[in-house]
Amino acid sequence: MAELPNNYFVSAAEIAAKLDLATCIAQQLSLTASNARAVALRAGESAAGFRPLTDFIDRLAEITISSSKTINLLAAGLSQISADRVRSDVVIKHFNAVFEIGKDSIFIGSLGSVFQRSKEKQLKLNNSYKRQIDELSDELTILSNELRNAVILATLSRVEASQAGIQYQEALINVANNVEGAASKIKTNIHYSQQIVSTLKEYLH
Amino acid sequence: MKTHKLFENNSHTWLMFGRDKDKPNEIIDTNQYIVITKNNALLMDPGGIELFSAMLSAVIKQLPADKITHLFASHQDPDIISSLGLWDQALPSAILHSPWIWEGFIRHFGMENITYAPIADEGGSLKLDSATLEYIPAHYLHSSGNFNVYDAEAKILMSGDIGAALESVDAPLFVEDFDEHIGKMKMFHQRWMPSNKAKNDWVQRVRKLNIEMMCPQHGRIFKGDDVQRFLDWFEALEVGIIET
Repeated sequence: MAELPNNYFVSAAEIAAKLDLATCIAQQLSLTASNARAVALRAGESAAGFRPLTDFIDRLAEITISSSKTINLLAAGLSQISADRVRSDVVIKHFNAVFEIGKDSIFIGSLGSVFQRSKEKQLKLNNSYKRQIDELSDELTILSNELRNAVILATLSRVEASQAGIQYQEALINVANNVEGAASKIKTNIHYSQQIVSTLKEYLH
Repeated sequence: MKTHKLFENNSHTWLMFGRDKDKPNEIIDTNQYIVITKNNALLMDPGGIELFSAMLSAVIKQLPADKITHLFASHQDPDIISSLGLWDQALPSAILHSPWIWEGFIRHFGMENITYAPIADEGGSLKLDSATLEYIPAHYLHSSGNFNVYDAEAKILMSGDIGAALESVDAPLFVEDFDEHIGKMKMFHQRWMPSNKAKNDWVQRVRKLNIEMMCPQHGRIFKGDDVQRFLDWFEALEVGIIET
């Protein structure tokens, strides 16, 4: 395993912050769905095709919020494990220094069991770290795939908007733009998080 | 790091560790003390993270690590106890004795294994095999919750920051010329000690103790008549001021 950069435990906290942003954007998306439903109702028969799309926008917002929360929890967990790893590594580093400085000390052997215990703890944390990274990576992929639907949803929304009465067209096209914009912003955050995860994964091999 | 034996009899030994020439320059030099009895040891004010390796290396030249069953932190400062997270891994069964008011703060240094034994404001004592050590209240000198450790048999008072002096790592272990030493202590006591009332109360109580050696956490140890000289000087000193 390659050596991790010193600030790697900050990276996990960064992912949590990015996903927090994604949650906020998804909450706005949910509001967009409510507004769209109201406009579609007012537009009557001419926007009949738009109404089912609002359910899909709602579903997309729900999935994004729920998945973002999961990823946020995983990232927060990873951040904690990373900080514990740093502490554990510091302990090992100090023990190694003692073994070097005090190698001729009569009682150096008395540190054997606590050193072993610290090594076991370090190994356990390393394994937890690997598991957490994998879970985080999988969850980011799932959310990223879900967001692909947003482009289709935005296109269909525009098509349906063009069928609605002239006074509702602008509002409905605005909904389509909001869906596309929100999805794009969330994707940027997801992509950034995936890049961080990919960097962190590199150090595991 | 130097090790110096301060006292030894049939029941126990006092050692002082300090004058670490390998420590980073920006870090204040500290004195650490240990009392070793038949089956136990009390390590006092074990120091900061930066000193941990040097300190543990010095200790295991004298005794097995697992014989250190007790730690003492006079107060919460980083130079006193920021190494706790590391001792916690090295001495998982140890007990840390420290002022009750600092428990929630000191635990921030990392304490998963060690047990915290809070010392009440009025002090207390610790029996270590056949040796008895007393916790002498020294609140506001300088920390608001603060204790010294007194050993009546060895006539040693581990006085923490009281009597401390800011000196170089090659300074002698003992005060040789008290009047000359004042210049190294004055600012430290005036700036870090906030209360004349607390100071005078401490002086009155400590005057009743039989002290042959007064051992601060920084600087030199006071021996014999220099202990009384220190108490006289400290009593007359106005503290809680910034001298310009």
